[in-house]
Amino acid sequence: MNFDFSEEQFAFRDSVRQYLDDRWSVAQLRTHLTGDGFDRELWEGVSALGILAMMVPEEHGGLGLGYVDLALILEECGRHLVPGPAVDTIIATDIISRHGTPEQQAALLPAIAEGGLKIAAAVAEIEGGFRPEDTTTIARPSGNGWALSGRKILVPYAESVDQLLVVARFGDDGPLGLVLVDPDWAGITRRHHQLLDPASRAHEVTFSEVELGGDHVLGGQPLETAVARLVDAGAASASLQMTGAAGKVLDLAVEYTGNRVQFGKPIGSFQAIKHRCADMLVLLETSRTAAYHAAWALAHDPAARRKLVSMAKAYCGDAARSICNEGLQLHGGIGFTWELDIHFYLRRAKTLEYSYGDASAHRECVMAATLAEMEAA
Amino acid sequence: MDFSYSPAEEAFRAQVRSWIKANLPEGWGSTVHEPEDEHARYMFRLDWEKKLFQGGWAGLAWPKKYGGRGATLVEQAILAEELARAEAPEGLNIIGRNLTAPTLIHHGTEEQRRRYLPKILSGEEVWCQGFSEPNAGSDLASIRTSAVRDGDHFVVNGQKTWTSFAQYSHWCFMLVRTDPEAPKHKGISFLLVDMSTPGITVRPLRQISGESEFNETFFDDARVPVENLVGGLNEGWKIAMTTLTYERGPEDALARQIRFKRDLMRLIVAAKTIPRGPKATAIDDPVLRQKLARSVIEVELMRLNCLRSFSKQLQGKPLGPESSFQKLYWSHMAQGIYETAMETLGPTAPLAAGDPLAPGDGLFQTGFLQSRAFTIYSGTSEIQRNIISERVLGMPR
Repeated sequence: MNFDFSEEQFAFRDSVRQYLDDRWSVAQLRTHLTGDGFDRELWEGVSALGILAMMVPEEHGGLGLGYVDLALILEECGRHLVPGPAVDTIIATDIISRHGTPEQQAALLPAIAEGGLKIAAAVAEIEGGFRPEDTTTIARPSGNGWALSGRKILVPYAESVDQLLVVARFGDDGPLGLVLVDPDWAGITRRHHQLLDPASRAHEVTFSEVELGGDHVLGGQPLETAVARLVDAGAASASLQMTGAAGKVLDLAVEYTGNRVQFGKPIGSFQAIKHRCADMLVLLETSRTAAYHAAWALAHDPAARRKLVSMAKAYCGDAARSICNEGLQLHGGIGFTWELDIHFYLRRAKTLEYSYGDASAHRECVMAATLAEMEAA
Repeated sequence: MDFSYSPAEEAFRAQVRSWIKANLPEGWGSTVHEPEDEHARYMFRLDWEKKLFQGGWAGLAWPKKYGGRGATLVEQAILAEELARAEAPEGLNIIGRNLTAPTLIHHGTEEQRRRYLPKILSGEEVWCQGFSEPNAGSDLASIRTSAVRDGDHFVVNGQKTWTSFAQYSHWCFMLVRTDPEAPKHKGISFLLVDMSTPGITVRPLRQISGESEFNETFFDDARVPVENLVGGLNEGWKIAMTTLTYERGPEDALARQIRFKRDLMRLIVAAKTIPRGPKATAIDDPVLRQKLARSVIEVELMRLNCLRSFSKQLQGKPLGPESSFQKLYWSHMAQGIYETAMETLGPTAPLAAGDPLAPGDGLFQTGFLQSRAFTIYSGTSEIQRNIISERVLGMPR
C-alpha cells in the first residue's frame, strides 16, 4: 500500500520542471499566438528529456514506462502550458503500444521514441455529445480496404502532426475502431479553428471517401477496447493537465495577494482572501488525489478503470474551473488584462474541461457504473 | 504507487474479519442493533471496546511497551476499515485512544505513558477533552480556566464546554492558564485531571440531534497533583497543537469514510424505491443523479486523500497542518451527502425517526442534523482555513 510516487519519479518531474521553467515561460508562449503554434526547439527539448519515449516499449527503443510514471509529467505539462502535440503523441503512443499490429508498432514506435513522429487523436464530432458511441465518422468496405468519411472537430495540431488516430464506426451498425491516416492524404481537408485558447491549435478535419488499406486499421480490425482506452487516457491526461494549470493559478494567487497592498496591508492577510485560497488548496490536493489515481487505473487496467477515470475528470474539471475563476478574481482588475499571464491558464483549463467529456457527462458515467456495481453485488 | 496489500496484510484482514464476526452479537446489524437509550448505548460501546482489548486489537499500532502490538499503520487502517465495514460499535473512549494517547506518546514523561496508556487500551479509563470554554472557542488561546500552584497541587477554577463524554469519563486532559501575565499563547499549560476530584461538576448539554454527547464542565477549587502536568509549565499550547493534529488526522477520517459511504449506498438503494410521481423513482431524476454521483465521487476521494496522507506517514514524514485539509474536505463533503439525502427523500424529508413512513426510520434526518456539527467541532472550517492559508500556503497574518 503506497499512494505516492517514487524518488525517481519525483526526480524526473523536477528535471522536466527545471527545463520548462527555463525554456517555456508564458513570454515565450506569447510569441506563438499566430502561425502554426508549433515550437520545434521545445519539441526537441521535450524529446531529449525522454518524455516522448516514456510510453514506447524498450524493444522499440523507448523507456517502457507507464501512466504512473507519466502522471507528474502531464501535471507539469499543464502547469507550464506545454502546447500539443506532445501530450497527444504520448496518448497515441500508449494506444499503439497496446493495440497496434507488430508491423504498425515497428513502423511507428521507434520513430516516436526518437522524436520524429507526431500523432494526434481525432475523436470529437459536431453532431455528437461526449460519448464515443455517438461517432458518425464511418469506414465502409472499399476494395481491399476501407473508405473513410466524416468530420471531426477540435483535432489538435492537425497541420503539424504526421499521423491522425481517428475514431470511426466500421459499417453502419458496426463496431467502433481506430484508423491511422496521414493528414496530407487526398480526400482530407483541414480548417483552422478559432479557439478560446490562442496558445493552442486545433482543426476541423473532413474525410471524403478517404481510401485506406486494412493495414491502416489499428490492430488490423476495429477494436472497441482501443477506443475505450483512448478516451479514458484522454480524460485522465486532461485531468492531470488541468490539475497542473490549477496548481500554477493557486501559486500565482498566493503570490499576488501576498504582495498587493490595500488598506495598508497585503490583501492576502484578509480572511476573505485567505479562506478562498484555503478552499482552493483543498480542491487542488483532492484533484491531485483523483488524477493520480486515474493514472494508476490506466497503468493497471482494473475492471473499474472507466469509473475511476470519470471520477477524476468530473472532480478535476469542477476544481480547475473554480480555482482558475477564483484565482483571476483575486487579482482584481489586473487579472482581466491581456498583459497578465493568468488568462492563459484559465483558457487552457477551460479547454481541457470540455475535452474528452465534461464533468456532468462523467458524473453520469459514475452513476451508471455505481448502479451497475450494486446490481452485480 | 501500489494499492495492493501484501499476503501478510491480507491474512491479517481475514483474521480481523473472522474475529469481528465471532464477537459481534448474532444477528448484528439485521435484527440486533445498539440500544436506543443513549446511556445504555454508551455502556454497550464501552463493553465492545473492552472486548476489542481482550481480543488484542486495542492500540494495535502503539509501541509494545505501552500495551500495543507495534503493528504497522496499514494494519491499523485495515482494522479500522473492517470494524467500520461490519458496522461494529464505535467505542466510547475515542478521545482517550485517538487524542490522549498520541499526545502522551509525543509529550508525556515515560512515567505518564506507563501510567495512563494501558488503561486507555483496556477501557478502564475513559477520557474527555477540556479545551473549549464559553469565551474561548475559535480563539482557543484566550482560555481563562486557571490553575494556581499550591504546594504539590494546582488549584483549578473555571468552566469548560463541549466536553464530549465528560459524564462517562474518568480523566480529562485540559488546557489551563498558569501565567495570566504572559502573552496568551505563552501562559497555558496542559493538565491531566481525575474527573472524581472534588469540585468538578458535569452538566450535559442537549444537542440539536436530541442527544447529549457533550457537556459543560465546571471546576471549583479542584486540586490536581503537579505531576499531572504534561510538558513544561506554560508550554501547553504547543502540546495542544499536537492533539488537534491527531483529532483532524487521516486515521480518524478513514473510519468515518466507511460510515459515510455506507449511508450514501443506503441512500442510493432508497432512491431506487422513493416515488417521483406514478411512473418514476428518485433515481430517474437526472438532477438528483448528478448530485448523487458527486457524492459517490467525493466520498471515494475522501478515502484516497486519507491513503495519500497515510503514505506520507508510512515514509516517516510527520503529520502536520495538512491534516486541516483532510478535515475541511470531509466535513463539507459529508454535509453534502446528507443534504442530497434530504432532497432524495423529497416530500418525506420532514418525517423523522419513529414515524412509520420515514424512509430508513429517520436515518438520513438524524445524519443531516448530526452533520451540522462536522464543520464546527475540532476547529471550525474558518479556523481550518486560517491554518491552511497561514501554515500550508504561507499567507501573511
